[in-house]
Amino acid sequence: MAFNFNWSPLAADAEFYKRAQELLTSALNKYPKPPIIVDDILVTEFNLGSVPPDLEILEIGDLAEDRFRGIFKMCYSGDAFLTLRTRVQANPLNTYLSAKPTFTSPQPLAASAGLTIPLSITLSEIKLSAFIILVFSKQKGLTLVFRNDPLESLKVSSTFDSIQFVRDYLQRTIEGQLRNLMMDELPAIIHKLSLRLWCPDQIPRDEEIVKENVENEAVVDPFANPPVEAVDSHGHVLDANDIASLSLDCGSGAQSLFSQKNMLRLAALTDSHRTLSLFTPGIRDAMFRAWAGPTERHDGGVSTPVVAPTLYRMPSTHGSSTIYTFTDTGSMDQGSLPSRPSMVHLNSATAGLTLGAGRHSRNLRKKKTRVVNLRRPKTASETNSDMGDTITDTVSVTAPISEPILPTSIPEEIEEDTILPRVPSWVRLNGDNRPTLTRAPLNMDIYNEPIITDGVPLTASDKVPSNRSERAMRGAASPRRPDFTHPEPANSDTSSVMLEQAWIMKMADEIARRVYDEKQRKEKLWEEGDDAPPPAYQPTQ
Amino acid sequence: MREFMDYIQTAFYGATGWNRDNSYSTLNATSGALLHFTTPRGLRLTLSSLATPHFATAYQLGTIGVVDGSISYLYSTVPLDYHAVAQSDKIPLPELLRSYLPLAALEPHNRIKGARQDVLAYGRLYLPMSMLEALMVKRISPTLQVQVSAVSDQTLRNGGTVLGMVQYDEGRYGVEGLASSDGGLLGIRGLYNFGGDVAGSASPNITQEIGNGGSGPEKERIYGRFSAGGELYYGTLNKSGGMSLGTRFATLPSHKGTPLTATMTVNPLMGTLSWTYAVMAGRHCSLATNMDFNVYSYESSWSVGMELWRKKGAWIVDADINSDRSEISSEPIYPLPQRSFQAKMEWRMDDPLPLLDTPDLLLPTPAPHAAQEPATKQRTFRAKLEWRHNHEDEDEDLYSGVLKARLDHHWRMGLLWEGRIKSLLFSLGSGIDLRRPDSPFRTLGLEVQFSS
Repeated sequence: MAFNFNWSPLAADAEFYKRAQELLTSALNKYPKPPIIVDDILVTEFNLGSVPPDLEILEIGDLAEDRFRGIFKMCYSGDAFLTLRTRVQANPLNTYLSAKPTFTSPQPLAASAGLTIPLSITLSEIKLSAFIILVFSKQKGLTLVFRNDPLESLKVSSTFDSIQFVRDYLQRTIEGQLRNLMMDELPAIIHKLSLRLWCPDQIPRDEEIVKENVENEAVVDPFANPPVEAVDSHGHVLDANDIASLSLDCGSGAQSLFSQKNMLRLAALTDSHRTLSLFTPGIRDAMFRAWAGPTERHDGGVSTPVVAPTLYRMPSTHGSSTIYTFTDTGSMDQGSLPSRPSMVHLNSATAGLTLGAGRHSRNLRKKKTRVVNLRRPKTASETNSDMGDTITDTVSVTAPISEPILPTSIPEEIEEDTILPRVPSWVRLNGDNRPTLTRAPLNMDIYNEPIITDGVPLTASDKVPSNRSERAMRGAASPRRPDFTHPEPANSDTSSVMLEQAWIMKMADEIARRVYDEKQRKEKLWEEGDDAPPPAYQPTQ
Repeated sequence: MREFMDYIQTAFYGATGWNRDNSYSTLNATSGALLHFTTPRGLRLTLSSLATPHFATAYQLGTIGVVDGSISYLYSTVPLDYHAVAQSDKIPLPELLRSYLPLAALEPHNRIKGARQDVLAYGRLYLPMSMLEALMVKRISPTLQVQVSAVSDQTLRNGGTVLGMVQYDEGRYGVEGLASSDGGLLGIRGLYNFGGDVAGSASPNITQEIGNGGSGPEKERIYGRFSAGGELYYGTLNKSGGMSLGTRFATLPSHKGTPLTATMTVNPLMGTLSWTYAVMAGRHCSLATNMDFNVYSYESSWSVGMELWRKKGAWIVDADINSDRSEISSEPIYPLPQRSFQAKMEWRMDDPLPLLDTPDLLLPTPAPHAAQEPATKQRTFRAKLEWRHNHEDEDEDLYSGVLKARLDHHWRMGLLWEGRIKSLLFSLGSGIDLRRPDSPFRTLGLEVQFSS
């Protein structure tokens, strides 16, 4: 992944410098100044220079068209400079007395007479090195936080360079002030600027999203409409900082959402995937997708956008991330609710429909229970096999490599597929009025990528629906397969929605039944699939 | 308004015969009082009392949005009631409010009292802030005095500061050494007097007689005292310092002309030159100007100030010393013949007839009016200037109030009206910014003081 920074255009904008100067000036004069500074501090010159900072991407927690969250390592040693102008009190006795009580003042007659000297200070050769946490959302603007003290070194040249004492003092003072500015003021400034840029767009954007939903049903891209407002497991809205901390702190916050027992079991489950063992630990207090009601279905739809973060997070993180994601989507898509029904009808057959529905419905938010896509004991065996296949995916944490969006979506789809076979009456699908229809696409997915499914069961159900939809809609399956290095006839998947629907209709019942009946057999099939997914897929069809 | 405790403290110095003004730090006291008087802010009420001759208390309550206050106590080993009138209905206003300070004698007749090693202790607690001020003055010998002041406050760096000062006053010269716990500041300042009464030359009486007895137009010789001094500070902890030099010329009270004080101070380190000039333009009016100039930054500033005393009952606008003198000297019933303006214009002597007529026309009108009242006032004024402490003089109660005003180069104006209503002393002041016509009144305040 690469970012393209337009450094010079930024600097070429005269307006930008003007605004930046104003903001800096107001920021510098915000706090009470030491008595030695007797006038306002004016920023007279400000230039970002021509050398852009070096950015190293350490971690990306969330990525979407209008959302971004990541950690960077920034190094800067460019030619930016900043010139300040102010007036200082040159008489040390005057500044000394200004802060003292008059009662004990020696009350000099004229020795404290003031001498104010205009002073201009140029800051140059600024060397920065910092870890930056960047959170961007179109609705909340850009938040930039330094994790450490960014200022490495700085050259302060002033009117008094010839006087050693004054120079040292200025250097010290300014470095301190600048640190303060960087850590406290700069984030605020940047946030203000970003709000100016993006805030006005906020309302229109929502409308656009709705349209997109309608129009893009065929091309439903879960990432296109990522949740804007994150919600935690209790339905409280998370702010950007919380999200950042959640995702960035290695899920420390997220872990609290999981019971220790379940964590262990999930770990065992992932281990079993790695080892291809058939053992699936039972996980209590987990709602299985098969049992989930229509409301849950929504969750699934919503969760899709989150997939990316989950992939590269630890399993625990998965859960948390998914949760909040879907709530967000729900909120975002609210406006589109009315349109949803129609969409559902049209696409009901396709997984994409389910997705849209899920997003639209807000019910998901209120839910606190997370849907875990684990099969029952019997299904578990299946899953195991699947998981074996998907191991790479499930291990997600370990295998962030493939994280790129496509792979993430893939596993979800797979999940759905697997799920469908297990539970013919799939809740999600039902939500759309046509559970059967949804199943059909799932089936297809299953066949295509049984392997991947393994990872999915662990992850929240949310992801699954989105994946499903994606796949169904645009036959994304093909790209995913390449990731898995299983060249499959994905193209078949790409067949028009109508075709799929019809096919699904026919097959849904059949498949469901088969799945149930043949679970054991399926396990074997899955296993086979591991080796060669296509063969497994063929038999089921 | 002068704080009651400051007034009592002055009484202590008076009682012990210490000349507070013989110090370099008070070189500019006169012009400072005229140019930098403080205007009250908010509402402030002070109740104070000299409970016993040795003990004084003061309670102050003020509000500037927030209510605050202070309690202060003062103890002196010297009975103060003889040197100070504590009752607010009897305090002589000029004593309390005057700005123009005539020079004090260098050899006070009561200096002998100083041998008693008198002590003054003063403490003041500001209530909401829990700030404590303490002062102790101890007279070691007739020429030596030690003064320690301290402030205890949480907001200060080490919880407080202490300033110690040793003052040595030999009359002809005075030296002070000081040390502050804050920044390890050390300082020394000294003042040397010469000329005038110190030199012992030109006796004022001679000039006076010449001036009064001689012909009116003859220019009177200015008679006064020169003082020169300097100060030097060094902060041992912050390695910073400061210094200044200054000189002053002030007329002595025995000078029959217009009392004036002129000072010049120089801060060679910072390049600041400062001149002040204060004059007692009349018995009821004092004026002062100040100009600063910095030779390094070319910054300059000026300010002017005045104070106008209001007589009980009516304003006296034109009470000039010159007119007084002319009246006094106008004992010859017939004033010296003067040429009329017309005559001057025509380069000729006046006609004899008008000359004869003038006494008839002029004498009756101004003489009775101005001769009686001003004469008594003149006596009081003279008495004060001649270091006669005659508070019991009824004429000390001549004034009902004083208006002070100042204006500086930022077009900021300060107005202060102080006076007495019944037995309450009040001080009403405002700071005005003339450059902001929309909201000129920057501060407004009223202080009311009652003491017994």
